[in-house]
Amino acid sequence: METTQVLGLITGILFGFALHRAGFSRCGLVMRGLAFRDFTMLKVMLTAIAVGMIGAAVLATFFPDYAHLKIKSLHVWGVLLGGLVFGIGMAIAGYCPGTALVGLGGGVRDGMLAVFGGLLGALAFILVYPVLEPRLIEPLNLGKLTLHEVLGLPYLAVALPMAALLVGIVVWLHRIETKAQATAGQDQC
Amino acid sequence: MMRVDQAMATTEARPATRRAIPPWLVWGGAIGLVQIFAIATVQPLGVSTAYPQFVGFVVDKLVPGFGETQPYLQKIGATIGWQVMLVVGIAIGALLSRLLMGWSNGNATACPLPSFWSGSKTQALAAFVGGFLIIFGARLADGCTSGHMLSGIAQLALSGFLFGAAAFTTGTLTAFLLMKRSSRVQGGER
Repeated sequence: METTQVLGLITGILFGFALHRAGFSRCGLVMRGLAFRDFTMLKVMLTAIAVGMIGAAVLATFFPDYAHLKIKSLHVWGVLLGGLVFGIGMAIAGYCPGTALVGLGGGVRDGMLAVFGGLLGALAFILVYPVLEPRLIEPLNLGKLTLHEVLGLPYLAVALPMAALLVGIVVWLHRIETKAQATAGQDQC
Repeated sequence: MMRVDQAMATTEARPATRRAIPPWLVWGGAIGLVQIFAIATVQPLGVSTAYPQFVGFVVDKLVPGFGETQPYLQKIGATIGWQVMLVVGIAIGALLSRLLMGWSNGNATACPLPSFWSGSKTQALAAFVGGFLIIFGARLADGCTSGHMLSGIAQLALSGFLFGAAAFTTGTLTAFLLMKRSSRVQGGER
């Protein structure tokens, strides 16, 4: 195996391990999260994003050789419609592409089925891409925009307050949940 | 071997920190650190590209020339690279976690299901159809929860914010509708 393949495997194992321990192997966490019955999904995601946000900005600012950033282009129609379709699928299945694999590896039938559905969805997308590309991906493609570029501010000057805001939201969600649990007695999860 | 040791270290550290730090913080923080590792070594985390790459790789073996005739596969490359290995690793990592917990305790961390779908067959179909939609949608948007949110928003990419807003809008609406349906079914009004 090549070095990048080994690195991908190691990264994946650590990622899958953490997702499994966070409770994503079954569909309940995502379903309950989207229905606001349980904030665990949001708290895990926002915490991970905040840590990654600080890390990416620190790497880019002080260790640019180690900042392999990859900004995705803002092709408005594709991102918007794709996101809307994605949200419906996420609620129906209770999985996203990563957590479906956590279900598969964790021995959960529905995770395996979601992965199979995903492989079929991938095949369908490959086949219809020539039709979709000129209509939804090419037009209104604004390029690889970032918030700090648009604002014209240094990367860290935007990343740190934004990460602080996310941490604030996490603390707020945690407080609401703890309060609700105290009044409703011991809830699940 | 190294992988197993790293995983073991994570679990061993758990009992000591468990009382003080809630699991969502431990594992949410751990995912953030994995993200930093990924950025420092190859590229930010991203899962959904690997699905069409893998499909392309397999179908190209069955139907020679498939990879060359499909423009999308030309764009992303139907090869087993970092991303497909990441996806294989995710499944192995989850398996490893469950084995270390003891297989029968394996779902102890998972949430109770909200029973959107009464019956195991309906739920199986929902998982399959939902799986289709998440990959199709993610490919149209060029990213999923990991690529657009864990990585995109973390890099302050505007595409990540738009994707997150769109996905959570329909995700929440759908989940609320299903939750209503499931409580109606449980209430016996149907």
